[in-house]
Amino acid sequence: MPALHLQHVHKRFGATLALDGASLKVERGTVHGLVGENGAGKSTLIKILAGIHTADAGQVSIDGQSYDRLSPRQVDALGVQFIHQERLLPASFTVGEALFFGHELRRGPFVDRRRQQREAQRLLADYFDLQFPAGALVSELNSAERQVLQITRALIRQPKILVFDEPSVALVKREVDQLLRIVRRLRDQGLSILYISHYLQEIDSVCDEVTVLRNGRDVAVVEPRHTSSAEIARLMVNREVQEMYPKARVALGEPLLQVKSLSLARRYRHIDLQVRRGEIVGLTGLVGSGAKELIKTLFGIEQADSGSVHLQGRLLRLRSPGQAIAAGIALVPEERRSQGIAPVLSVLENLTLAGLGRFSRWGLLSRATEQVETARLIDELAIKAPGPHAAVSQLSGGNQQKVALGKWLSRRSAVYLLDEPCVGVDVGAKVEIYRLIGRLVQEGAAVLVLSSDLPELLGISDRILVLHRGEIAGEFHAGEADSDQLLACATGAVPAAAVRAREVEHA
Amino acid sequence: MLEALLRRGSVGVFLAILVGFAVAAPNFLSVGNLANVFSQSAILGVLAFGLTCVIIGGGSNVVAGGLDLSLAANLGLCAAVFSRLNNVGLALWLTVSLTLACGVAVGLVNGLAVVLLRLPPLLATLASMNVLAGLELVLTENTVVSTDSPLLDLLSGGAWLGVPALAWVLLVTAGLLTLLIQHSPYGLRLHAVGEYPQAAEAAGLRNARYVLSSYLLSGLCAAVAALCSAAFFSGSTTGSGDMLLSVVAIAFLGVVFSRRLVASIPGTLFAALLIGFLINGFQLLNVSSFWVNGVQGVLILLVVAASSALSRGGHP
Repeated sequence: MPALHLQHVHKRFGATLALDGASLKVERGTVHGLVGENGAGKSTLIKILAGIHTADAGQVSIDGQSYDRLSPRQVDALGVQFIHQERLLPASFTVGEALFFGHELRRGPFVDRRRQQREAQRLLADYFDLQFPAGALVSELNSAERQVLQITRALIRQPKILVFDEPSVALVKREVDQLLRIVRRLRDQGLSILYISHYLQEIDSVCDEVTVLRNGRDVAVVEPRHTSSAEIARLMVNREVQEMYPKARVALGEPLLQVKSLSLARRYRHIDLQVRRGEIVGLTGLVGSGAKELIKTLFGIEQADSGSVHLQGRLLRLRSPGQAIAAGIALVPEERRSQGIAPVLSVLENLTLAGLGRFSRWGLLSRATEQVETARLIDELAIKAPGPHAAVSQLSGGNQQKVALGKWLSRRSAVYLLDEPCVGVDVGAKVEIYRLIGRLVQEGAAVLVLSSDLPELLGISDRILVLHRGEIAGEFHAGEADSDQLLACATGAVPAAAVRAREVEHA
Repeated sequence: MLEALLRRGSVGVFLAILVGFAVAAPNFLSVGNLANVFSQSAILGVLAFGLTCVIIGGGSNVVAGGLDLSLAANLGLCAAVFSRLNNVGLALWLTVSLTLACGVAVGLVNGLAVVLLRLPPLLATLASMNVLAGLELVLTENTVVSTDSPLLDLLSGGAWLGVPALAWVLLVTAGLLTLLIQHSPYGLRLHAVGEYPQAAEAAGLRNARYVLSSYLLSGLCAAVAALCSAAFFSGSTTGSGDMLLSVVAIAFLGVVFSRRLVASIPGTLFAALLIGFLINGFQLLNVSSFWVNGVQGVLILLVVAASSALSRGGHP
């Protein structure tokens, strides 16, 4: 009898089918991995197990007992504990308080702080050989120590099943190794463990079995002992690159953006990259890879600790987005609604917002110039809008994104940073956005695209850089790589050294 | 670094003020004057305890966290209710019970507005503050309603072990609330709910109940403070709303008197006494009491600025 068995679970959120008959079986006393791309349905499945969502169909069996629906309290009582990605511990609590709150040790009607303290020190020493000074506060611990606290908190409840949901995201290599040792030891003590992670290396080293989820369905159950990480990565993706990437031939010019040995503590280290005139460079990495922070640094939102950024040979000191814009860098952010556009303003106002200086004379806006430019952009970008004065919030996601891009077209920047430019955009609009990106480079700009859509990156970029845990783990020519390779590199399935060896030289 | 500086600095400032006044005003450290300061701090102190509970349960973010701006107005209403009922000739126990019930009912309304309607506490209690001030006007017709009761005589004139009754009220309220908020499982969970709601939820706590309960405590504190106020002024007076700024100042100032830099009952007690000593010292030195308002304003600015600097720096 398996410790945990989810059978044919279906779940629909509005128009999207998140789970389409997914099953998952965790045998007693084993570590079972769960992998899948973003959007494959992992988190929905876990939330159903946690009792946060209710499945439309299918059932959950814990210890042989079947349930149609579960509440969070029921799940807790059944001996299932979750270790979430976030450290759910109040920062001002002492270690003892953080371990026991919700199930305090008492003396009479009061919390017995001294006993909690003693117990905490005993448990942490027993389980993890860890010692904290008496009265240490959670805010004084690093993220690995907090993670250990979180695990200990779960263990106090004496669970039968432990679910680790992306536990290693904020950890560095040494801390991950420690985490994996802990997981193995808990398994050896007889616990059944469900381990969810993006990082195939971890899956490979700790799991007895792995379920691969794709498009809301379990497509394979494999044993990492007999299956390579690359094979698991292939099972996760299994997509064809469609003929939807219009690619303009552009002769590459001199390097516009040069980044040398850029580092930001706990985010990324020693990043070297350059983007040449007319080049589209793709950038990808999993959550926590540092790619997002790198883009933010290049736009002056975050400041690097060391290293340098040169634009057209000139050293940049980026302290704010304003300086980045003045230097000729444009960013189209992922959070379209909150950062990329002003939803209540009109199409015209949004399109001209970034370059108001060009439309004004003696401090006043020239309506006529604005109208002409806006009409030109709406036409060129094929923005489907009721008119230039319609509020952008009325437009579809794809058209909103075109406005966000068009905003920067109205002032010519040297370097464009695009953060997930096609997230939440339908296929037709995607192609138009790709065409737009192509036009940027034809006009002599350099483009750096951050995307987790690998076929998209392969389709539109010239080169692709893959970040893994804050370092560039691989560099690929778009024509000579496929999604599997990129994913294997991003998940760390292939050691960085191997990729570096295969790396293609370029001038 | 900033944290250590704040903690040590605040205690240092507290001591410096005491020493400064002790040197400048000869009577300052006399037993009679100290007792006086404790009594005079009772009303503001008990109100600030109520606000402290709400801040703990709702989080210390000044804009989005827990806040009860209706405390002072609630006190005004409760004092008016007490005076009117007492003048009608109702039994004392019934009058006191109804006064306490009035305070708690206001807390319930505030709590429901925050928990059920999900209004930001700042707005919800700002609105109820206005409603309460209006109700008080209806009850008192904007005049002083004097009243007379053995309870008020005891509170204003009584003393035990040489400590005046109002000072006892302050200390006993502080003691009881310290046990409840700092040492009971309820209090610990209230801290968790306020500081990290997701963590509290993941620990199986029903956050809404805890937040609601903090507003009930706050309402109860307002009613207790109203009894003190009625004793002090021999009835209900107008202008209780003016105390709001002081109450907010004390509750946020109290943060710097705790090791973890969070709102706490003992910290608030210290802050209430600090403000009390300031007012008292200025009086002894014949400095206009108008200056006290200015000093309070500066203290709020400093504390809020420092705590928001902390929250930008430290939290994960």
